[in-house]
Amino acid sequence: MNIFLYLDKGTWIHHLDPRTKMIGTLILFLICLCFNHPLYMGGISLGVMAIALSARALFNFWRVRYILILLITFSTVMWPFFAEGTTPLWSWGSLRISEESLLYGIAMGLRLATFVATGIILLSTTRNEELTNGLIRLGLPYPVAFALSTALRLVPTFAGAAATIVQAQISRGLDLESGSLISRIGKFIPQAVPLFVYAIRHTNLLAMALESKGFDPESPRTLYYEPRMRKIDYLTLILLSGVLVISTYMRLGLGLGIAMPGRM
Amino acid sequence: MKAVFTMWRNTRMIILASVCAAIYGAALIAFKTAIPLIPGITEVRVANIFPMVFSLLFGPAGAWGTAFGNLIGDIFGGTLGPASAAGFVGNFLLGYLPYAMWTTFVPFAERSREWNVGSWRSWINYILISFLSSASCAVVISVVVDALGIVPYAVLTKIITLNDTFASWIGVILLTSVFGITKEQLGLFWPEVMEERDVGHPLAGTIGAWLVALSAVTGLFGGTIGLPMPTTGWVCSLAIMVGCLLL
Repeated sequence: MNIFLYLDKGTWIHHLDPRTKMIGTLILFLICLCFNHPLYMGGISLGVMAIALSARALFNFWRVRYILILLITFSTVMWPFFAEGTTPLWSWGSLRISEESLLYGIAMGLRLATFVATGIILLSTTRNEELTNGLIRLGLPYPVAFALSTALRLVPTFAGAAATIVQAQISRGLDLESGSLISRIGKFIPQAVPLFVYAIRHTNLLAMALESKGFDPESPRTLYYEPRMRKIDYLTLILLSGVLVISTYMRLGLGLGIAMPGRM
Repeated sequence: MKAVFTMWRNTRMIILASVCAAIYGAALIAFKTAIPLIPGITEVRVANIFPMVFSLLFGPAGAWGTAFGNLIGDIFGGTLGPASAAGFVGNFLLGYLPYAMWTTFVPFAERSREWNVGSWRSWINYILISFLSSASCAVVISVVVDALGIVPYAVLTKIITLNDTFASWIGVILLTSVFGITKEQLGLFWPEVMEERDVGHPLAGTIGAWLVALSAVTGLFGGTIGLPMPTTGWVCSLAIMVGCLLL
């Protein structure tokens, strides 16, 4: 059961320091927050797609295509009814859509898709070990990073066990497709109990294995994998920061890229 | 709140946090498409039967495990984004509040940290706290998600609260099934795993519990009594955080 999004492609983005990729992702998130006009958001979305193309991460976009389409559609359809604009476009009873709210809805759909796309680029180009290593180097305490990396390693095991338990229960006649909402949720209990017990039995064994090897959460440690920041890392961060500064100035200084004033 | 930080000195608690995160993450992935509510946006989160159980059994390890598990669900589900930070905090509360309020939410609070299936007080406490922790989680996530322009506050608070509360109520069957095994056979009940001096005793726990309760309810229903939303949601989120610090 392969649930990892990492794609071993060896592009220039794959070779960046994990810190660069994580900080870069945060900067891209901030850039997305600068505008709420679909034209400007569309430009940012295209830029992120170009990065995805360069990272050869499009396969993962195909994997989550339904989620992406639904996110854009849902956001675009829902926001026009909740955001209030000044230029009326359509109304029916208490339901109203304005020109501003429609534009805002489209922009939010694009923003949401761009958020997801940015996250996918990070996960397609960064191994789990690199992610936790980057977090440690950014100041996350080692025990916390250790817990996260252990959990990331255990997830495929437990997800596989959960899938096996579901299949085993279905083969014994458990029907997960019918019944009311409450009864359908209730039917997951026979699967949750064995999954829980199976997983929790790991705890004592894992703790004993760690303690027998002298694991001490509070002791300082060295790391086998020690990435270095190179020229390309600094250049990437400077470029992204530049785009962020320009975008912020366009929004706050020049008042550009606003479909719905007063909203982020 | 002391135990939330001191637990990182204890190897078993660290492993418990990892295992809880992995179970929750795996369940989020495995059951993601089981019962969709709004396809692609939210589903009946079957995995949410776990946070309340984790919290009452593993205390702070359950809180961190729930927070990391949700993040892992986003990572493997391909939905990692700025809302994941809000999801981390909200799910941390979902795992933190049940054990922290269990002995402090007077007059409903239990005297012991244990789940007692034969005590009506345990049942009432469970039902109320699962609703309040779900509402707190919903308010904190929704204010951020609304500000980011992802989903409106009014819609999301209700969906998350209903989803988490019902799943937590059904989770009581899981808790009853596994409490004895975890405590007696595996010896992993959190007050017995952690050192007494690391657990800590809140001085203003009851005030904190009631501050969280009132803020969560106001954040959830404030809009229906004419309070300005999501501004009230931000105030309530801040009050929930203060309440958590007092617990």
